[in-house]
Amino acid sequence: MLSYILKRIGQSALVLIIVGLVAFSMFRFVGDPIDNMLGQERTMEDVERLRAQLGLDQPFPVQYFKFLSNAAQGNFGVSFRQGRPVADIIAERAPATLELAAVSAILAVGVGIALGVFTAIRRDGFMANFIMSASLIGVSLPTFLIGILLIYVFSVELGWLPSFGRGETVKIGWWTTGLLTESGLKALILPAITLGLYQMTLIMRLVRSEMLEVLRQDYIRFARARGVSERTINFRHALKNTMVPVITIIGLQLGAIIAFAIITETVFQWPGLGLLFINAIQFVDIPVMAAYLMMISLVFVLINLAVDILYAFIDPRLRVSA
Amino acid sequence: MFKFTTVLLLTTALAAPVMAKDFKFAATTDPQTMDPHAVNSAPVLGFLNNVYEGLVRRGKDMAIEPALATAWEPIGEGEGWRFTLRQDVTFHDGAEFNADDVVFSYKRASDESSDTRSWFAPVSDVVKVDDYTVDIMTNAPNPIFPDSIANWMMMDSGWAEANNAGLPDKEAGNYATLNTNGTGAFKVTAREPGLRTVLEPHGGWWGEVEHNITRAELTPIQNPATSLAALLSGDVDFINPVPIQDVARLKQNRDVSVIQGIEARVIMLGFDQQEGASEGGNGSSDLFLDPKVREAVAKAVNVPAILQTIMRGNAEVASQLVSPAMRGFSAANATPYAYDPEGAKALLEEAGVAGASFDLKCPNNRYLNDEAVCQAITGMLAQAGLSATLDAMPVQNYWPELRADNFDMYLLGWSPGTFDAEHPIRFLGSTPNEEKKLGSWNFGGYSNARIDELLPMIQSEIDDIKRQAMLDEAAKIMQDEVAYVPLYVQPLVWGARSNIELTQRPDNFFILRWVTVN
Repeated sequence: MLSYILKRIGQSALVLIIVGLVAFSMFRFVGDPIDNMLGQERTMEDVERLRAQLGLDQPFPVQYFKFLSNAAQGNFGVSFRQGRPVADIIAERAPATLELAAVSAILAVGVGIALGVFTAIRRDGFMANFIMSASLIGVSLPTFLIGILLIYVFSVELGWLPSFGRGETVKIGWWTTGLLTESGLKALILPAITLGLYQMTLIMRLVRSEMLEVLRQDYIRFARARGVSERTINFRHALKNTMVPVITIIGLQLGAIIAFAIITETVFQWPGLGLLFINAIQFVDIPVMAAYLMMISLVFVLINLAVDILYAFIDPRLRVSA
Repeated sequence: MFKFTTVLLLTTALAAPVMAKDFKFAATTDPQTMDPHAVNSAPVLGFLNNVYEGLVRRGKDMAIEPALATAWEPIGEGEGWRFTLRQDVTFHDGAEFNADDVVFSYKRASDESSDTRSWFAPVSDVVKVDDYTVDIMTNAPNPIFPDSIANWMMMDSGWAEANNAGLPDKEAGNYATLNTNGTGAFKVTAREPGLRTVLEPHGGWWGEVEHNITRAELTPIQNPATSLAALLSGDVDFINPVPIQDVARLKQNRDVSVIQGIEARVIMLGFDQQEGASEGGNGSSDLFLDPKVREAVAKAVNVPAILQTIMRGNAEVASQLVSPAMRGFSAANATPYAYDPEGAKALLEEAGVAGASFDLKCPNNRYLNDEAVCQAITGMLAQAGLSATLDAMPVQNYWPELRADNFDMYLLGWSPGTFDAEHPIRFLGSTPNEEKKLGSWNFGGYSNARIDELLPMIQSEIDDIKRQAMLDEAAKIMQDEVAYVPLYVQPLVWGARSNIELTQRPDNFFILRWVTVN
């Protein structure tokens, strides 16, 4: 088991280094930050001076190596746009994204599994059919459209919920939370639904089809024949066996929720990492882009690692063979 | 007890409308720093104009008016300018403003680490005469010097030194990047970069208060649909800009008002006018060396049609490189090129280049609807018999392309920082000269000996009438030679809740002290 985990960690580190390399080779296509940093009245001399100062005149492998060696020492550089350490900026923005992602994930997993089980057990019922049809909306509509629709209905027309931002936040140490104020909770509702809707419908459909599959298995029939109660069959035997593929998907989707919060954050002006990244692209703020991409790939790598380890706990056969 | 509560409720009810004048505004770009000398960009200077002040400032009509200086006059035969400073002005932290702060702010803003140093290129020295008099010496007579320093903001020398912010630090930032201490009508009470910036009135401000704001909060909102929704739902009181395509719809709504005007920015077409220099263009690289071909382009582009369709009637046709609102606008040359497709064809025949093909480079996120405008231009040129290939790209890729001379024709917007017609001549009309820092945005390499000769004369002419005559001459030369094809003056569209009264200035600066919340 230990050697298995160590091997996975080694692979993860390699993935990170490759992601960084790809990212850095792409940066020069994103554009040139110099004109954004200097004003209209700059001279060519200023342009050259600043480029040399930022090390942008060097070939990208050199730039990448510098970034890596600094990052290994915990120094992610200084944002071109804000003139502040990138690590500070990311620490400032991370709570917003993590809170949004956590609430969306809880929403997606909780509601998704419950509805999935419900539609599997009552698969011919009217409600189940209605939920299945409605879930098509969640799968097929793009996130930004859902977000704008929600804003239009609940903010502009009804005026119930704020149209953008995070509301009032409370500081706990370096962490800022919007979960403790009324306006913060209100502001969280629409973005959380927007971000979680796709994952929710995905999980629901997955749980349903897996569950239907499992319910057809022989051991379920035997259990029925033995007179085990429906409740025990459904939730103890069937659901548990449904969960293995579902957990893989949940794990991957959790990473996706954090990484692809970009669109939701842009639509709702949610002050998190996704918005920071979008702004960084527009300004060609290379240190911020690099740190963000490395961080997201780290999140994915860690989640995958966790999922692999979780398998072993859910499926005893893996434990034995490992 | 009951009585007490009622009384309390009544007083709060009565007091509330008078007290809380919370004003929330949104802008596309967050000011990237709070340091008035670090960068020279409109979002920063526009915002900081509410917090810091210069010796002079611009009024509602863009004219220069006294701010921290009460009077100014030329010294001798134009050796410089003498500024008399306002007395009893205090910074937000209570420190007094005097001549030392002016000298300090000059050193700070003209230092190599400052992006605003080009403003001080004509300045040889700043001398403190007494506590409330300062002489600013210039290398040559400089009639528009007071006009050119409206955004040069005063910082307290003691505060800057105490906080180790004696010089701006753009790369790593310092205390002044996040904190402010100006003399302006508002002070920054909270600053979270990219999230929100909170302003409150400065109690000790020297001026007469016109606004009734007790607290203002700036939130950057990048997505235009989101900011529009925020305005419609009342979550913000003001947005800038309103997307052009939503203007008509917004005007139907009684809860909001649309404030329209024209900006200082003129959108124009530029040409590659260097012999054999165009490596990246496709084919006929010397095509635009011939003024006839440039004139044909000017005649082939139907600007009013572009404004009618793409700008939905929200912009004005331009005749020269500055808008009529700028000082030094040449009224003698105010006729734009007329749309004349037949004339264009004839000119192309004459030049023997009918059917020529070339590249049109265009940004797609810099100016309002820039790519759509270029697309329309491509179609219009095709009708006249010029085959332009449109290459549109984000602005962060666009400038490097232009600097590398990878274009035949390109789209450019220019907003004169000094609000004077001399500015575009210096940056766009002069022959590029790295040493003299001239023509630094003249990517196409337009060159005319008379323009180069006129520029220093314009810069040092004290007499307004003689100066205007020279500006007229320069405008005429550039118009006759079709150095650029000016297209239109970019529109300015702001949106506000209908209970807000405000003043729109053509430089797109949002001045909080002119806002009334009803």
